[in-house]
Amino acid sequence: MSLLSDVLVILLNGLQQGAIYVLLAVGLSIILGTLKFVNFAHGALYLIGTYAGLFVALNVPLSNGKLAEWGFSSFGLDIGFFAALIFVPLFVFGVGLLMERYLARAFYDRPDTDQILVTFGLAIVVQELFRVLFGSNSLPFEQPERILSFGSFAGLPVSGPVALPIVGNFPQWRLWVIGITAVLVALVYLLVEYTDFGLVVRAGTRDAEMVRLLGIKITRPYIVVFGIGAALAGVAGVVGGPLNVVNPTIGTNILVPAFLTVVIGGVGSIAGAVVGGIVFGLTTAALVAFAPAWSQVGLYAIAAIVLLTRPQGLLGDEEVTP
Amino acid sequence: MARDNKSLNRRDVLKATGAVGTAGLAGLAGCTGGGDDSGGGGGGGGDDEYPALGNYPIEGDTATFGFNVPQSGPYASEGEDELRAYELAVKHLNEGGGWVDSQFDDLSGDGVLGYTIDHVDGDTATDADQARQSASGMIQRDDAIMISGGSSSAVAIAVQGLCQNEKVMFMCCLTHSNDTTGTDCVRYSFREMFNAYMTGQALAPVVRDAYGEDLQFYQLYADYSWGQTQQASMEQFMTDVAGWEQVESVATPLGTSDYSTYLSGAQSSGADVLILNHYGLDGANSMQQAIDAGIDEEMEIIVPLYNRPMAEAAGGAIEGIYGTVAWDSQIDNTPSQEFTQAFRDEYDRTPSGPAQLAYAQTLQYAAAVERAGTFYPPEVIRQLEDYEYDNIGMGAETMRGCDHQAQRDVPVVQGLPASEQSEGTYFNIVNITSRDDLGYACDAGPAAECELGSYE
Amino acid sequence: MSEKDANPSAKDALVGGSLFGRWEKLRGREGTVVGITAILVAVFPYLFARAPVVSGILQGYQSLATLILIWGIFAIGFDLLLGYTGLLSFGHAAFWGGAAYAAGIVAKNVSGDPIVMVVSGTLFAVLLAWVLGFLSLRRGGIYFSILTLAFAQMFYYMAASPLAFLTNGENGLTGVEVGSFLGVIHLESDIPSVGGMLLGTWLYAFVGVFFVGAVAVAYRILNSPYGMVFRAIRENEQRAEFVGLNVWRYKLMAFIISGAFAGIAGSLFTIHGAYVPLQSLFWTESGDIVVMTVLGGAGSMFGPVLGVGLYLYIENIVSTIQALTIPFTDIVLIRDFGFYWHLLLGLVFVVVVWVVPDGLWGILNRLRELAVEFGSKAAERLRSRSKGGGR
Repeated sequence: MSLLSDVLVILLNGLQQGAIYVLLAVGLSIILGTLKFVNFAHGALYLIGTYAGLFVALNVPLSNGKLAEWGFSSFGLDIGFFAALIFVPLFVFGVGLLMERYLARAFYDRPDTDQILVTFGLAIVVQELFRVLFGSNSLPFEQPERILSFGSFAGLPVSGPVALPIVGNFPQWRLWVIGITAVLVALVYLLVEYTDFGLVVRAGTRDAEMVRLLGIKITRPYIVVFGIGAALAGVAGVVGGPLNVVNPTIGTNILVPAFLTVVIGGVGSIAGAVVGGIVFGLTTAALVAFAPAWSQVGLYAIAAIVLLTRPQGLLGDEEVTP
Repeated sequence: MARDNKSLNRRDVLKATGAVGTAGLAGLAGCTGGGDDSGGGGGGGGDDEYPALGNYPIEGDTATFGFNVPQSGPYASEGEDELRAYELAVKHLNEGGGWVDSQFDDLSGDGVLGYTIDHVDGDTATDADQARQSASGMIQRDDAIMISGGSSSAVAIAVQGLCQNEKVMFMCCLTHSNDTTGTDCVRYSFREMFNAYMTGQALAPVVRDAYGEDLQFYQLYADYSWGQTQQASMEQFMTDVAGWEQVESVATPLGTSDYSTYLSGAQSSGADVLILNHYGLDGANSMQQAIDAGIDEEMEIIVPLYNRPMAEAAGGAIEGIYGTVAWDSQIDNTPSQEFTQAFRDEYDRTPSGPAQLAYAQTLQYAAAVERAGTFYPPEVIRQLEDYEYDNIGMGAETMRGCDHQAQRDVPVVQGLPASEQSEGTYFNIVNITSRDDLGYACDAGPAAECELGSYE
Repeated sequence: MSEKDANPSAKDALVGGSLFGRWEKLRGREGTVVGITAILVAVFPYLFARAPVVSGILQGYQSLATLILIWGIFAIGFDLLLGYTGLLSFGHAAFWGGAAYAAGIVAKNVSGDPIVMVVSGTLFAVLLAWVLGFLSLRRGGIYFSILTLAFAQMFYYMAASPLAFLTNGENGLTGVEVGSFLGVIHLESDIPSVGGMLLGTWLYAFVGVFFVGAVAVAYRILNSPYGMVFRAIRENEQRAEFVGLNVWRYKLMAFIISGAFAGIAGSLFTIHGAYVPLQSLFWTESGDIVVMTVLGGAGSMFGPVLGVGLYLYIENIVSTIQALTIPFTDIVLIRDFGFYWHLLLGLVFVVVVWVVPDGLWGILNRLRELAVEFGSKAAERLRSRSKGGGR
């Protein structure tokens, strides 16, 4: 096989793996940058998104956990993947609002360590709750066959392999993951950069006190920022769910790479989160191709190197970092 | 930490303390079972011709078995099924029924050597450290005379090492690594399950007949001891027996969940067959991702070892893929049918492969005690070593004395499509590869590296 | 919270002559603290695993007692960093597991002498802590937590694959042969006569000595100028800097000291089990020590040890019972407790962080204060009444 196709495969795989990190990192990053709130429970939102996506899109049999014991032999609305893409972010947005209102707000003025501890505890609670309800075994999250099928319109096929020039067969869903991520991140970017809402948020990031003195009520944009961050994690769960098996530990497993993405990209910067995610995805993919034994180590080594040479992150703003 | 948050009002504190206090007390009082300090002074069998060793002699007239299975973590469902089988075995030992009546002439259905059999269970969480803690609790606190369990090789190896030190017998349940009865083997442990080496031997002729000779194959393997031994044996037997040629074999590090790049490499290699040496959830992930990438349209896929959580997680992705299983309820012989029936009667569900292992290993140990006429571990071990039997549904077997590895047949299966899968049925049995075509001499393969250690 | 342990003088002045006052004074002295610790360590395994009635209720066993002390050492060290210096590390598994592996590898290849194992494991942990501390402390706050987490995970993955030839990878380090102490005493064997009844095995005694030593050293450090600086940094890093302290150097020192404690504990863990699980390097191990320390009470000497005891006790004993009942009755509180305990633990942890940041120890302390207050008030009333009686 040609070198070109190898490189292209690494690029595509890297982008796809990076895409999930980007979705999580953008959410984490705007929450951290705007609200100065460290959310170790962001993985739990991903977990909620994945199970919610599974619930809306499919109907899976349950064999373990309390729900099965209570007589629910299967789980799900089975109304399709597109519906999941719409409803799940809304639902997780709501979860985010609740989390901001009843948990985060109480901790804005407390030290970072307390924020980490309480959200770490919350992550345990959510994970264990899902374990109790659905059992600790893995559920299959089958990739959608098609999306956007209405009535006579058959919809767009999204599952299975697609033949690409040079590269050859490539799983179609992974291309969709890249596409959906790009669209969502672009939307958030536009929202933050070009709307009044975004202006308040950005100003609040710089100097919350000054904004308040100018008579702008900051609470509402703040709670929305939290909701958006949460919704992005929910989407990540829906689009990322079918890539792997689904079990209650996926949230905590993805948290560490997501956080590293934020810090190497630079806190509070959407572009930074994107760059960080892509760097991670590409490095992992490249290491897998050339030095597989080191591919897991490499992720952490890169993060360490970036942080030590450029502590504010690749695109981080010097002033914003504490 | 911030000071201003510490100014709690008194009621909060009292409330919190109250809650903690109750929970603490409740915890204590909850532990009422297992009070085995009755000091009956060698009731039952009363065999005290041997010196004290480990938890021998047994005090009182109850012998306790410790069942150490995953009850949380990714293999919890498998552990639950094992536990059901263990409890069924204990019931049959005490009250008769199942194989105790029909297959094991040494057993009476009236306890073992006059002792009533009791059991305790523990959670390994498929974590070697937790499994050892749980096992030491059983040995030191509950005075377990025998431990059984394990749903992964790391756990089995960790626990059998502990059992050797504590001089308590360990009957392996599901563990497939060569090391369990190879480099890490111990005198006090016996394995009924076959190993990675035998899987390679069992699969090679079957896939050769199915896919033809002169093919090229590509391997991915999990980069730890099980994966390494598994890929080595696949390489050896696919080359020697099937006459295939290996293109490349790539290690995937522990903790990998996205195999797409690895799979792309396999795809572009031009090989005809892809062997995925991943187990459990890793296996479910890599298999699912291979199907999504369309690899099954270009190549044949083989996974060496299936288990039920893996089949559940992978869903329809296992369709048509060859592999091996510990045992399956569809195996057509009297002991298998009897066990399946007894299990169904008790629990109204189909037993898994590890359940059969759990049931068989418990009865096997009890029968050896009866033959030895004592629970004194060295005598029981001697009864099991080189013991020949044909009563657990896998044909004629020998528990080899040199490495404590059962020499037995291996079932080869193909995954069923999602539409034909149902609770407890995921595979179609293709072949039962005879033990005459499997295994290795005591001075060859993994056994060459085994030093069992002392009896006492 | 900790201030009470550290300089009880203010309290003394308050409750001067009473019985409580004398007790308060005694409590503070190093000799007393170490002495009481030693006595508790000596009777603990007896009460826990062998005493009639008590151990029957507790359902304890010898090796769990040993394990609690080992984790206790780890927690005391971790608290020096979290509770006293205010640094939250999510990467202490690297020192615990690293030392465990170092001790195990030394035992397999060089010498199985327990002292050699502890020394080499601890040295390794100290070196590692020095390097990781040097790198991680360049960033404060959450970055520190994330960096330590990242480095520790890096070691986990290194031990899992690339270094598997040393660590035996996923199977864990098997075949560790722990030699006899001073060439005569097999640590696994029981101590003869009364010592055996109290302590059980030599291993427990060996670990117990280290535990008491750890308490003494930690007490020394906390009451030295170093300890003062640590607390100053926790309270207000900037102010400490302005006073002219080299904050960074003190933080590094706190990190290395806590790494050393983790190293001692990790080495002892290898001696205890003659085996090193790969999970000892995984981040959940770091998470566990955080949970134990915070639950028990960060910023106090014995809170974290209390947290360790409680956590391990619930994990290993309470979680195995089927139904949690109200004492001496058949009224069931929770069925399948083992199934729920992680969830309950998480909830309790959130509540503790939220409402009582000084943990269970803080609650106990406040109760004790209430009792002291109540006692001195009662004494006061008694005195005034007896005075009044003359009227």
